[in-house]
Amino acid sequence: MSFLVLVPTKRVPDTDGVIRVVPGELDVDTSHLSFVINPFDAIAVEEALRLRERRDDVEVVVVGIGGEAYEDELRTALAMGADRAIRVDAAEPLDPWNVAGILAELARRLGPRLVLMGKQAVDDDSAQTGQFLAAQLGWPQATFASRIDDSEHGAEVARETDYGIETLSVTWPAVITADLRLNEPRYASLPGILAARGKPIEEMSLEELGIEIEPRVELVGLQQVSSQRTGRRLENVTELLQCLRENTELF
Amino acid sequence: MPTETLTREIFGNIGTVPKAIFYALAIIAGLIAVTTAWPRIRRWRSGRADDSRHSVGQLVRAIFTRVLSQATLGKTRPAASRAHRCLFGGFAVLTLGTILIAVEHVAALLAGREADEPVFHKGLYYAIYEPVMDLAGLAVLAGAGWFLIRRRHGDSSIGHRRSDWMVLFALLFLGASGFLVEGLRIIEADSPGRWVSFVGAAVAGGLETAGVTRETAVVVHRLAWWLHAVVALGLLAAVPSTRLWHAVAGSVLLSGHPERPLGTMTPVTIEEVEATGVFGTSQMTHLSVRQLVSLDACVSCGRCQDECPAHAAGKPLSPRRVVQDLARQLPGIGSDNRPALAGEVVSEETLWSCTTCSACVEVCPLGVDPLELIIGMRRHLIGAGAVRGPAATALQKLSRSGNPWGLPPDQRMDWAEGLEVPTVDDQPDFDVLYWVGCAAAYDRQSRRTARAMVRLLQAAGVRFAVLGERERCTGESARRMGEEFVFAELAAHNIEELGKHKVTRIVTHCPHCLNSLKHDYPDAGGHYEVVHHSEFLSTLVAEGRLQVDRTSPEPVTFHDPCYLARVNGIVDAPREVLEATGAQLDELPRHGCRTACCGAGGGRMWLDDGPEDRVGRDRIEEITAAGAETVVVSCPFCRTMIGDGLATEGSSASIVDLAEVLLESLKESG
Amino acid sequence: MHVLVLAEHDGDRLRAGTTAALGFARRLADGDGDQVTCLVLGDSLATVADDAATFGPVLVASHADLAEPLADRWAEVTAGVMRSESADILLGASSTFSRDILGRAGGLLGGAMASDVTGFHRDGGHLVWQRPMYAGAVTASVVLHGNPLIVTVRPTAAEPPERSSPPASITPVEIDLGRLPTSTGHLGLDGRPSHRPDVTEARVVVSGGRGLKTTEDFERLVGGLADRFDGATGSSRALVDAGLAPNDLQVGQTGKVVAPELYIAVGISGAVQHLAGMKNSRVIVAVNSDPHAPIFEVADYGIVGDLYDIVPEMIRQLDAD
Repeated sequence: MSFLVLVPTKRVPDTDGVIRVVPGELDVDTSHLSFVINPFDAIAVEEALRLRERRDDVEVVVVGIGGEAYEDELRTALAMGADRAIRVDAAEPLDPWNVAGILAELARRLGPRLVLMGKQAVDDDSAQTGQFLAAQLGWPQATFASRIDDSEHGAEVARETDYGIETLSVTWPAVITADLRLNEPRYASLPGILAARGKPIEEMSLEELGIEIEPRVELVGLQQVSSQRTGRRLENVTELLQCLRENTELF
Repeated sequence: MPTETLTREIFGNIGTVPKAIFYALAIIAGLIAVTTAWPRIRRWRSGRADDSRHSVGQLVRAIFTRVLSQATLGKTRPAASRAHRCLFGGFAVLTLGTILIAVEHVAALLAGREADEPVFHKGLYYAIYEPVMDLAGLAVLAGAGWFLIRRRHGDSSIGHRRSDWMVLFALLFLGASGFLVEGLRIIEADSPGRWVSFVGAAVAGGLETAGVTRETAVVVHRLAWWLHAVVALGLLAAVPSTRLWHAVAGSVLLSGHPERPLGTMTPVTIEEVEATGVFGTSQMTHLSVRQLVSLDACVSCGRCQDECPAHAAGKPLSPRRVVQDLARQLPGIGSDNRPALAGEVVSEETLWSCTTCSACVEVCPLGVDPLELIIGMRRHLIGAGAVRGPAATALQKLSRSGNPWGLPPDQRMDWAEGLEVPTVDDQPDFDVLYWVGCAAAYDRQSRRTARAMVRLLQAAGVRFAVLGERERCTGESARRMGEEFVFAELAAHNIEELGKHKVTRIVTHCPHCLNSLKHDYPDAGGHYEVVHHSEFLSTLVAEGRLQVDRTSPEPVTFHDPCYLARVNGIVDAPREVLEATGAQLDELPRHGCRTACCGAGGGRMWLDDGPEDRVGRDRIEEITAAGAETVVVSCPFCRTMIGDGLATEGSSASIVDLAEVLLESLKESG
Repeated sequence: MHVLVLAEHDGDRLRAGTTAALGFARRLADGDGDQVTCLVLGDSLATVADDAATFGPVLVASHADLAEPLADRWAEVTAGVMRSESADILLGASSTFSRDILGRAGGLLGGAMASDVTGFHRDGGHLVWQRPMYAGAVTASVVLHGNPLIVTVRPTAAEPPERSSPPASITPVEIDLGRLPTSTGHLGLDGRPSHRPDVTEARVVVSGGRGLKTTEDFERLVGGLADRFDGATGSSRALVDAGLAPNDLQVGQTGKVVAPELYIAVGISGAVQHLAGMKNSRVIVAVNSDPHAPIFEVADYGIVGDLYDIVPEMIRQLDAD
């Protein structure tokens, strides 16, 4: 019996890119940004591939929810070694609730034993989608995973928490979200991407899935947090702490 | 003694039937040699076709420039090099001599001459031939003897095969028995003018003193002759199965041209990868025919290992071990279920330890190219997704941001603040493009080099321009990590920008940029005249365009960058610049082409190493031991590695670029 | 409006984040008839409940099956309480605990959720929440549609409320054990080897460079300053090379890449390799005796001076707060 691992991935701006809000708009200037696969999702893809190397019955399916441009990121995942990809055509951005809804429907249709995804997306930083999905499906969840030891009926998962490493056991099927220290993803080069051309990217629509988008989060404002790097010289510690109080959320 | 009677009977004292047996044995030995050689040759041909051509002229040239020269054999092992020259030279001369005898023998037969009427093997010719052969025989004895003594000491840096002892003893035996046969022949044939064969004559004299009579000599001569003949033929038959095969494989290799010039790489296009489905080498059949020949040519002498900076730092890399490990895969070539070359036959850590300094390529007497073997396997690892961590991050950042640190491209001109540096748009009629490079653009230490360079160019009135924010990394380190396609992407971008502004001449202070623009970019369609800043500045000084004060001699030392001195042969220009400033240059022990690698090349700059494991540690120690107060560099990688290294040692020495030194010595303008 | 705050505790007392969340909840529920209740789950909760009750009414769900904060059970109970109490907002401090459990509870309650909130205001009848996006480069203002709302807040977003005396009511909650999921088990918790957070996760990173002379100085100054922020320590490659800091603290191109809210570089010159590891930090402060050190060019704020004077002064002033 095949062990299907579903890996949802998100297309996000490269974290080295400079983020600038377009004045007067609820959007950031994307014209100069490179888009990449969300780093935490790349870790999830890597972990799924390692799972496949350990067992011999694993199929790794990556999912992207968005427009045609998403195919680049899906090809990267395929180049890393995923078996096939699914793109659900939808207008971005979607909030975590709706993304989870779409993934839940996919999960019901595809029957994965494991949904493995990044703990958060580096643009939204919500870290909610995995948990929403687990709740909608009624599956056990293990978030911020830094180690997954799989077995026949489930897995032992080590989680990064504020107070140390917590180890949980979950039974399949389960939702696991990946933390930074889970692994280092392999590099996908052009030859890998070429080889991946033979792998299919299936396109699905929201209608097919019977999904209607019900937005839960409405963006009403976007403000640039100034980061001038002016190297302002301060005279003494008192001044410094005052500046920090005014300019950070740390006090 | 009249010289025209000087000769000796060839095959004398050997009857017709024994002669026939000898020829039969020779044919058998030849057949054995051929049948054992053929499978080896067939394996070579299982490789990828390459476009090298072969010629005898190239072989002869290569023998003089590589095999017999100090630059390769003698570089690290002068004594062994002399011994090899004796053995190889002596044996070659003796072989030539034997061939001449065979020619004489056949000529005499055809001309119907009697045994005592040689065609040319007589007279003055004979009087020269004989002593030369005797000298050659002594050389063989000396060489073989030296190698035997060295081998007895169990030196681990040389190769060891079971047959090595047999080969050396056989050569020694042949040398000794040759003289014995000669001595006995002299007694037996009572040859006129015995002293032209001075060693044989001495042997004969000794034997006669010991009471050997002519009658005894007749019998013993035949015996000795047969022993000598059998061992000689046996050795001939054994050539393909012993390390003597290196002479054959090596000759094939050395006769091939063009040789890959240092600093270049064999390109591979995306179309090729699509067509073959292969990127890099993961199986023996992916190697080119020439590379397969080189595996057989390698005699495991270990000179490459001696020169390898990674090996010196304790990394698991020995270039000759890479070659030998691959050579061991030759017998199974083409069959199924072979272990993967990259990862199984040669470990990944070994492959990533290489700094591509090219010292191994330069020193190999037979022209084996371990570097290209390593890059081929790196390419495979890259394509197979076997790279992760800091290496993967650096490649991703190069690809996405055009520099290895992921810094914003629009900050590439920040280094020039306050200096009025013209871009190609500001100054379209520039004479030369100053290629700044990522380090000088973003690294605050290296920015000093660029800023000094700009001031020098301005002082000399050079009409220059920089590419500005459109400049991207040349892609040099990506290419040497095996990421041919990130390199291709970056090169395509840069070539387009350079083309837009019709750039033909480029000056750069970075030897890696220099090498890439000069040797890599032609593969991508970009052809430029590229000059290192040391050469450019030296010319400016010589032309008087820069007026330099010979300031009070300050003791400095200079670290030659691998990619400048070794790979591109630029050694004098930096010294000319230093001389012009009056600086007192104390050379490091390993300087010029013999420079020692700082450890940053080959993408290693982007890999993680603790200070104890870092390649180039020995160079830091060498510099510290030299006690220099000022270390002059001319490469941003070297600047970082040596600067960091010296600081770790607690040294108070300062590091400056050549341009900064020159700038300081500029005459105050009136 | 009824705001329910899910308590994070250590078995004895509420954690600091929860008290801040209670303060935030008070600001939300500041009208007549508004109510803030603290929900405490676990086992043997008497002490914790007493502590929580000094801030307001407490609901307690105590059972052996709830001894460990397993998300599937705790979210189930929490969602149940939200429904039975008809609460409008479920609140928690932004921590791994809350993200795990409130995230799942949010999924059970309809998904109108905002994470890591730093503030709010009212606009017409709506609550508008501020939260960081793009690693803090941008502050987003969002309105949540649905009921109830689920919100996790930054501990720095509010002060804990005054403790009240006498303590408020503590009411037990009925748990439907049959409904409790059992597919997750708790196997153990390994406390951190260091009391400090990981350098890649911390909000504040204090990093030391070659300006430091000994390992003790590193711990005292860099470590001491980091502790004032509950932050992490990092180091430059130079310090690791000098043997004064372990390799796993190295921040830089070949070490760790970090993007905290605040990065304080102490005695670090600012070579590009180091820069590559911390350039995405929100605010960068540089302390260096060399006024020309390249680090000042990438810092937001800088102090030129001897770190051996400046850092102890920082610690002193922070302690005085």
